[in-house]
Amino acid sequence: MPEGALLELRGITKRFPGVLANDNVSFELRAGEVHALLGENGAGKSTLMNILYGLYTPDEGEIFLHGRPIDLGSTRAAIEHGIGMVHQHFMLIPVMTVAENIVLATEPRRAGVLMDYDAARRRVRELSERYGLLVDPDARIDRTSVGQQQRVEILKALYRGAEILILDEPTAVLTPQEAKELFEIIRSLTGQGKSIIFISHKLNEVLEVADRVTTLRRGVVVDTIDAEGATEEGLARMMVGREVLLRVDKKPSQPEGALLQVEHLSVVDDRGLEMVRDVSFEVRAGEILGVAGVDANGQSELIDAIAGLRHVSAGRIVVDGRDMTNADAKDTLDAGIGHIPEDRHRRGLVLPFSLTENLALHAYRHAPNSRRGLLNPRVMTARARKLLSEFDVRGGAPATPAFALSGGNQQKVVLAREIDGDPKVLIAAQPTRGLDVGAIEFVHRRLVEQRDAGRAVLLVSLELEEILSLSDRILVIYEGRIVGEFPPSATEEELGLAMTGGRAAA
Amino acid sequence: MTDELSAEEAIEPPPPDGIPQPQQHFRSRFGGLKGAIAPLLTTILAFFMGGLVVLLTGKNPIRVYKAVWDGTGLNWFVHVGHHSARVPFGTAHMWFPWDTASIAAQNLQQTLLVTTPIILTGLAVAFAFRCGMFNIGGQGQYFAGTIFAVWFGSSFNGMAPLLHVLLCLVVGTIAGAVWAGIAGILKATVGAHEVISTIMLNWIAIWVGSYLFGQGGPLQNSAQKSIPISNDIFDGAKLPVFWGLKLLQGLSIGIFIALAMLVVYWIVINRTTLGFEVRAVGFNPEAARYGGVSVARNYFLAMAISGAFAGLAGAVDITGWEYRIGQNDIQLGGSSGIGFIGLAAALLGRNTTLGVGFASLLFGALINGTSGRQLDPSIFRPDLAGNLTTIIQGLVILFVGLNLGGVWVWLKRRRRA
Amino acid sequence: MNAVAARLGGIGWTHPRTIGILGIVLGALAFWLALPPLASRTAALPVAIGILAVAAGIWTFSRDERRVGGGAIAAGLLGIAFGVLATRSSSTHLDEVVVWSALGAATLRYATPLIYAAIGGLFCERSGVINVALEGMLLTGAFFGIWGAIWAQSWAGSAAWLVGVGSAALAGMVLATVHAIWAIHLKVDQIISGFALNFLALGITGYLFIDKYGDTGTPGDVPGIPDVHIHFLQNWYFVGPIIGQLNLMIWLSFVLLVGTYILVFRTPFGLRLRAVGEHPRAADTVGISVYKVRYVAVIASGAIAAMGGAYLSIGFVHSFNEGMTNGTGFIGLAALVFGKWRPFPTWGATLLFGFSSALADRLPNAYGNQWGTLFQALPYLLTLVAVAGVIGRSIGPAAAGRPYEKQ
Ligand SMILES: Nc1ncnc2c1ncn2[C@@H]1O[C@H](COP(=O)(O)OP(=O)(O)O)[C@@H](O)[C@H]1O
Ligand SMILES: [Mg+2]
Repeated sequence: MPEGALLELRGITKRFPGVLANDNVSFELRAGEVHALLGENGAGKSTLMNILYGLYTPDEGEIFLHGRPIDLGSTRAAIEHGIGMVHQHFMLIPVMTVAENIVLATEPRRAGVLMDYDAARRRVRELSERYGLLVDPDARIDRTSVGQQQRVEILKALYRGAEILILDEPTAVLTPQEAKELFEIIRSLTGQGKSIIFISHKLNEVLEVADRVTTLRRGVVVDTIDAEGATEEGLARMMVGREVLLRVDKKPSQPEGALLQVEHLSVVDDRGLEMVRDVSFEVRAGEILGVAGVDANGQSELIDAIAGLRHVSAGRIVVDGRDMTNADAKDTLDAGIGHIPEDRHRRGLVLPFSLTENLALHAYRHAPNSRRGLLNPRVMTARARKLLSEFDVRGGAPATPAFALSGGNQQKVVLAREIDGDPKVLIAAQPTRGLDVGAIEFVHRRLVEQRDAGRAVLLVSLELEEILSLSDRILVIYEGRIVGEFPPSATEEELGLAMTGGRAAA
Repeated sequence: MTDELSAEEAIEPPPPDGIPQPQQHFRSRFGGLKGAIAPLLTTILAFFMGGLVVLLTGKNPIRVYKAVWDGTGLNWFVHVGHHSARVPFGTAHMWFPWDTASIAAQNLQQTLLVTTPIILTGLAVAFAFRCGMFNIGGQGQYFAGTIFAVWFGSSFNGMAPLLHVLLCLVVGTIAGAVWAGIAGILKATVGAHEVISTIMLNWIAIWVGSYLFGQGGPLQNSAQKSIPISNDIFDGAKLPVFWGLKLLQGLSIGIFIALAMLVVYWIVINRTTLGFEVRAVGFNPEAARYGGVSVARNYFLAMAISGAFAGLAGAVDITGWEYRIGQNDIQLGGSSGIGFIGLAAALLGRNTTLGVGFASLLFGALINGTSGRQLDPSIFRPDLAGNLTTIIQGLVILFVGLNLGGVWVWLKRRRRA
Repeated sequence: MNAVAARLGGIGWTHPRTIGILGIVLGALAFWLALPPLASRTAALPVAIGILAVAAGIWTFSRDERRVGGGAIAAGLLGIAFGVLATRSSSTHLDEVVVWSALGAATLRYATPLIYAAIGGLFCERSGVINVALEGMLLTGAFFGIWGAIWAQSWAGSAAWLVGVGSAALAGMVLATVHAIWAIHLKVDQIISGFALNFLALGITGYLFIDKYGDTGTPGDVPGIPDVHIHFLQNWYFVGPIIGQLNLMIWLSFVLLVGTYILVFRTPFGLRLRAVGEHPRAADTVGISVYKVRYVAVIASGAIAAMGGAYLSIGFVHSFNEGMTNGTGFIGLAALVFGKWRPFPTWGATLLFGFSSALADRLPNAYGNQWGTLFQALPYLLTLVAVAGVIGRSIGPAAAGRPYEKQ
C-alpha cells in the first residue's frame, strides 16, 4: 500500500443549529487506498464529506491536498482539485438522459454555442468501457435501475477527472450481489490509481472492501485502524460506544388465526404499470411476517393497497374476516389496520401540527376526541400527554410542533399513534430508516411486543438484517411477485439471490 | 445534508402540477401581540414607499395622507365630548362620548361599510389558504353573490322584509359557494390549479354580469333602457341601517354579520373536525390522506366555504347600501376590487381572526379615504389616489410574505462574505 | 347512444381514447357546420352531432379515460351551444364575421401578447421560479412601451417605437428583478410575490397614466410598431391576407419561438437551465450556480413578457388604458402549462386562445352588442376548460416554486 497522505483534513468543526455535526475531526487519505468512514446514522459522516466536496463551509479546520492547504469554497473548486462525490441520495436529474447528466456543466460544444450530443455520447461510452461501468448513454435516468444510476454517478465524477472518489453509503440501495459488483468496481478503480473514501454503517462491508477504517461517533473521531485484523464486534463497539445486540431477542412465535389475508392481488402504479402481480399471503395473529426486496419492486404499492390508499386492480384483501378490497383509507383504518408509513416526514406526520394534533390524526373523528363535528381539545391534549410519556418521546410537550423533534422521537410519535389505535394488523414500512441504534432498538422492541400481544405484524424493509432479526417468516418480493418464502434462519445470501430474481429453494 | 433534505421535501411536497401549493408562510408564525409586529412594520413600510411615489410625482405625501386620514373618519374617535346616541334597534337616546352625527361620524360609517365586505372576502382567502389553496377568485365569487342578491332582491315584491333580506343573503352565499366550488371540483378531480381556474372564473363572472345588467340584458332595469344598471332591490330586501341615514349610506347591520363570520371562521378552523381536516390537508395532503382524510373532499369543501364568504360579501354589499349594481361597477372590478383587497387583508392578517379583522379595517379606511367622495380633488386626484391604494396593497403583499428574520440573516451573511 | 359507440368499437376502434378524441372532433364539427362556408341553417345538425360527441364522451369517461372523455363531453356541449347560436344569427352577418382569413390574421394578433407572456414564463418556470406576475409584466410593458414611444417621438421620429420597446423591456426587467430577489434570495412564496407585483404594476401604471395622460388619454398619434408588408405574398389565396401584412412584433415572436427552442433544448445553457429547474441541488453539486441561472432566467422573462405588452399598446391597439391587459398574462400562463412548458406546443395553445379572442371580438357583429358582451367570456371559458381537461396531467419542472437553500 502506498505511503504518505494524499489528502488531510485537520480539526474540522461544523455546527448546525442545535447540533455539533463534526467536532474537531481529523482524517487522512493515502493515495490508492480505500478508506472507510464508519458511523451510525447522524454521526456526521455526510457532513464531513460535504465539507470536503465544497458544499458546506466548515466553521473551523483546514484541508490539505498533497501537503498544501486548499480552499474548498465551492463544489467547482473541489472538482478542480480532483475530488468527486457520489451522494447518498443520487444527484441525478430524472427526466434527462444518462449522457446529459454526466456532461452537465462541462458540456462538449459544437460551433461554440450548441450542445454536441454526439461527442457527449462518445465520451460516455469511452469512459464506461475504460472503467467497466456499463451504461446506456441515451437512457433516461428515471427509466434506469438504481444500480445503473449509481454507475452514472461514478462516471459523472470520473468524467470530471476525479482522483479522489467519495462514496456516501453506496450499498444502502443495493442487494448483496450488487454490492459485491460494486466492490469489484472499487478495486478496479484503486487499481487505476484512484483513492476512495467509502462511507457505511455496515461492518461486514467495511471489513471486506476497506484498507483502513475511521470511526465517527456523534461528530467525534473515535479512531483510525487498519482493516486487517479488525473484527465486527470491535468495530461495533467503537461505532456505538457500548456492546450492541446484533439480534433482537424474542420468544418463538405462537401464531393463531389469520388477521390479514391477501389473495391474488394485483396493483398498478400512477404510471399504469403493474407493480404488484398476483400476490397472495396471510399474516396471522402473533407473528411478524417480513417482506424483503430491493427498493421499488412493488412494496410501496402493496402496502398502499392494503392500507386503502391505492386502487386494487384484481384480487382480494381480507382484514379479520372482513373484505376490505378497495375500501377507502378511513374505513380501512377503522377496520383495524395500523400503518407506520415508510416516510415519516412526507406521510407519517404533519410537521407543522402539534404533537397533540399528530397523535390525533386518525382518532380526531371519534369520541371522545370529537363529538358531532366539534373537537374537544382538552381530551386530545390529555391523551397526547399520556402517549408521550408511555412511548418515552423526549423533547416535546403536547403543544410542540412535530418538526421540532429529532427523527427517532418523531418515529416514536408515529408508533404511539398507530399502536394506540389498537389495530389488529400493524403494517411497518421501513420503520427504522435513518434512526440511530437506540431508537432502532426501541422500535424493534415495540414491534415484538405487538406481536406478543396477538397482533399481526407485516414488516416491509430494505434492510435484510432487520428482516432477519425480527421476522417469524420471510417473503421475498421481486418485480411485484412473491418469489420465495424463507424461515428466519435463512442467510443474507439466500435472500439476496431471491431478491434479484434468482430462483431459490423455498 | 441527507436528513435535512428529506425534511425540506416533507414540508413542501411536490406540487401536483407546475404551480405549487401556497406554502408554510401562511401559517401564522407568531402568536399574540408579537405577531402584530411584522404586519405593522409591513404597513408602515408600504405607506412610506407609497409616499415616495407621491413625492416623486411632485405632490406632498404628508398633505395627501392627511387628507386621506380625514376622509377615513377614524379621527372621529379623537373628538370626545358630551353627546347622545340612539340606542340600536330602538328610538331611545343615551349619553355617548362621541358625536354620532358629525361629518367624521359619517365618514367612519362609510369606512366601516367598506370594511364589511373586505372582512368577508379576506376570510374567503384565509379559509382557502388554510387548506393550502390560493383563492384568487374572491372577486368573481363576490360578483356571483351580488348578482343573485340583486336578482332576488328586486324580485318578490311584498315578501316579508326579514325573510326577503335573509333570502338575498342566502342565495348570494350559495352563489359564491357554487362559483368557487367549480374551481374546487376541478382541483379535486382533475388537479387543475386553482390560481388559473379562479382567475378565469373571475373574468367569466365579469362578462356574464356585464351581459346581465348591460343594455338589453335580462336583468337590466325596467325603467331606463339606456342605462346599463339593475333594478333597485325592494325595501324589504334591505338590511336595517343602525347608524346614520339610509339615504346617506349609513352603516347597516352588515358589519355585525361580518364580525360574526370572523367568530365562525375561528370556530370552524380551530374547533371542528372539518377545520382539523382542512388544516391537515393544507399542511401536508399526503399525510392527511394517510390519516384517512379525503383530500379531494376537503379541497372542494374548503373552496366552497371560501366562496360562500365571498358570496356573502357581495350579498351584504347589495342589501346593506348599494341596493343595485351597474355594468360599470362590474367591469371595474377585473383586477382591482373588493375580492383582491381581501387577498391583501388575509395576507396582512396572517389568516388569523383578529389579524383579518384589523387588516380589513386598515384597507377599508384606505379605500374610503381615497374615494372620490371623501378626498378633496384640489389636494389629490381621487383616481390617482385609487391607484395609490393599489400600490400600497401591492407593497403590503410584497413585504408581508417576507420573513423579516430571514432578510436579516441574509444581509448579515452578505456582509461577512 | 352506447350502441353507436359500441358499433364504432366493432370496427376495431375499441380503444376508449380513440373514441374520446373522435368525440372531441365531433364537438368541433358541430360548431363548424353552422359556420360559413357550409352555414347549416338548421339547428338539428349541430345538435345531433353534438349529442354524438357527448355520447362518445360519456362512453369514454366510463372506461376510465376521464380526461379525454370529459373533453369530448365539453366539446359536444359547447359545439351544440355555439352551433345553435350560429344558426340563430343572421346569415349575412355571419358571413362577415367568419371570414377565415381575417379570423386567421386576428388570431395571430391576439395570440402575440400571449406568446410573449408564455415564452417569458417558460424561461422563468424552466429555471424553477413560478411566474404569476406575467400579467403585471405585460401591463408594465404596455405602459412603458407607449410612454417611451411618446417620449422619443420628438427626437427619434418614426423610430420612436424602438425606444418604446426598449423602455418596456427595461421596465419589465426591473419588475422581474424584484421577483427574482424575492423568490431566490428572500425565499418568499413565489405566488405571493408574483401577485404583489401584479398589484404594484397595476397601481404604478395606473398612477402614472392618470398623472401623465389622465385628462385626455394617450395621444392619438403615438408612433406605432410598423407592419411588415410582403407584397408578393399578399395576393396568395388564404394565407396572403393572414401573413401578408403582419406587425413586426408578430414576426419577431416567430423568431423568439425558434430561438427559445434552440436555446433551451440545444445549448449548454439550456441544459443547465432545465437542470436547475428540475433538481437544483444536483446542478449545484456539479458547480452550476443555481442562483445565477435563476436570476438570468427570471429577468429575461420580465423583458420578454414586457415586449409582449409593448406590442399590445403600440403595435396593436395604439393606446393605453388602466388595467388594459385584462387577464392576458394569466391566459399566457395557462397556455404555457397547456403546452407542457415546451415552446411549440405552447405556441399552439396561444393560437387556440388567440382564436377564441378573435372570435369573441367579431361575433358581436352577428348578434348585436348585448350577446357580444357575453362572448367576451369565451377566451376565459376556453382557458378554464383547457385547464380542467389537460393541465392537471401536465407536469412542470420539478423544482418550480421551491426556493433553493444554498448550504
Ligand atoms: N443541513 C443541516 N442542517 C441542520 N442539521 C443538519 C444538517 N445536515 C445534517 N445535520 C445534522 O447533523 C448531524 C450529522 O448528520 P449527517 O452528517 O448526515 O450524519 P450521517 O451521514 O453520519 O448519517 C445529524 O444530527 C443531522 O441531523
Ligand atoms: Mg449520511
